[in-house]
Amino acid sequence: MYHPRTDVTHRYRYVSTDFVKHLLGTTLVVTVVTMALSAIFHEPVRPALKIDTYANQHPRTFMSVALNALNGQGEIADYGPPYNNGTGSVQDVVQKWVGIIHPVYPKTDFILNPLKQASHLDPQLTPALDAFEAAAPAQQTKWEAAFATALAHARVVSGQVLLPPGPYGPVGPMMQDMLKLGQSGLLTGALNRSPADYQFDNQNSLLFLQGRPLQDAASKLELQGNQWGIIHEENAPYPGPWWMTIVTAIYQIPFIANASAADALALGSGMFLFILLMVAPWLPGVNRLPRFLGIHRLIWASYYRKYQSASSKPPEQTP
Amino acid sequence: MNWTVYVREKTQLLFSLDTWLPTELPEYATGIMYTLGSLTASSFVVLVVSGILMAANGPQWWTISSIGFYLRGIHFWSVQAFFFFMVLHLLRVFFSGAWRGGREKTWLLGTLALLISVPTAFTGYLMRGDFYSQWNAVQAKDGLNALGLAWFNTLNAGQMYGLHVVVFPVILAFIIAIHLAMVRIKGVVPPYPGPDEPHDTEEGVNQNVPSAH
Repeated sequence: MYHPRTDVTHRYRYVSTDFVKHLLGTTLVVTVVTMALSAIFHEPVRPALKIDTYANQHPRTFMSVALNALNGQGEIADYGPPYNNGTGSVQDVVQKWVGIIHPVYPKTDFILNPLKQASHLDPQLTPALDAFEAAAPAQQTKWEAAFATALAHARVVSGQVLLPPGPYGPVGPMMQDMLKLGQSGLLTGALNRSPADYQFDNQNSLLFLQGRPLQDAASKLELQGNQWGIIHEENAPYPGPWWMTIVTAIYQIPFIANASAADALALGSGMFLFILLMVAPWLPGVNRLPRFLGIHRLIWASYYRKYQSASSKPPEQTP
Repeated sequence: MNWTVYVREKTQLLFSLDTWLPTELPEYATGIMYTLGSLTASSFVVLVVSGILMAANGPQWWTISSIGFYLRGIHFWSVQAFFFFMVLHLLRVFFSGAWRGGREKTWLLGTLALLISVPTAFTGYLMRGDFYSQWNAVQAKDGLNALGLAWFNTLNAGQMYGLHVVVFPVILAFIIAIHLAMVRIKGVVPPYPGPDEPHDTEEGVNQNVPSAH
């Protein structure tokens, strides 16, 4: 059947069809194929990077991540909106305009608050925390700088980071306590604190990990942006989200990849290309392109074979 | 026209049996090339059914139970099938110039469905709870923040879960439904006229073929 007021296809010959059978058939095919693929290949899974595992396997890097959160040199500490009032990752005015809607201040949220919570279990933490908070910012910076210099040459022995005595003030014990907290497995819970105390949000634990820990692991798996990261699975034979190929391809263009607003440019130009596809019917030239490409001769091959004979016979009419 | 009459007429057309379950189709609109859209819609059905079963049992279930893990595999592979058939359908439709004869909006809705499918699938990747979820959540945030879309917080698993299981699928299902109805109501685009066939429109839709009805 056709809709006579809108449909011009009734000018062509119609054939009987059983659409119920057709739809059940295609659904059955997809169901059987996906059930078989799941039984044979499953879904690829690469275990999540946990803070305690990382702190135990890479104690010195963990400590440097914590130190960068404390001294403000970490990426998130100077990120800017929507997390804080930094400027390091602000790519354009729209980002600033949105404002700080997911506030994150790494010094407080990643270090001081988790340590204060831990001090309830280990009161020996309290004097170091009090001394740090009572000190002038210039003094805090001196302690942090001295600790950073020493950390670069620190030794790691059975999961512990050994530093020679130095002018670190309370920063030394604070960092050692952060490492213990990280290794214990309690830091994830201390980072993901919602005001309602009912947790649905991994924001802060992921932002804590997002620098060296996740970057190093992703580089090994060739998942970085410049390695066509987002579209392939870490396990080679599995398909990844290949439908994001165009945006990922844009990230491979050096002009865009090296720009300070790389993400805005890549996503913006990907969106622009997609809008071109959406408005193709209204684009002069593009809307007539398929006819000249000639692929339609393959699509309607049997139709053309039947009706496009030398006699130019129009389609047959149904009774 | 009175708007209530307009709504009534449109609804009648939208929900008619002829729109959804036709008993005959144009001769040129049969064969494997014309099964790609149905295979896409069927993949969406498998996605929704497996997704409902997973959502009913909760995120831990599909990670730790063997049945949940199997179902999650079906969900994963039907996403692959969904995009695979959708892209093939898109190519078939593009090379047919399927927007001819007043079918531009049908094309627009189809591409919009593809556009919405990307965040729908991406938020699903964030629900896996593995390294891939962690990595893509932190990688995607910078672009979204830069575009002023910080509201879409990829690091907030609760928000991503709601978007993935309700908001995006409902929007997508609605767009797909209207797209399908429009395909049926407008009829599948006829073939380009051949070189020796008369045609008199800009779009290349042959209007000179005598009516069969």
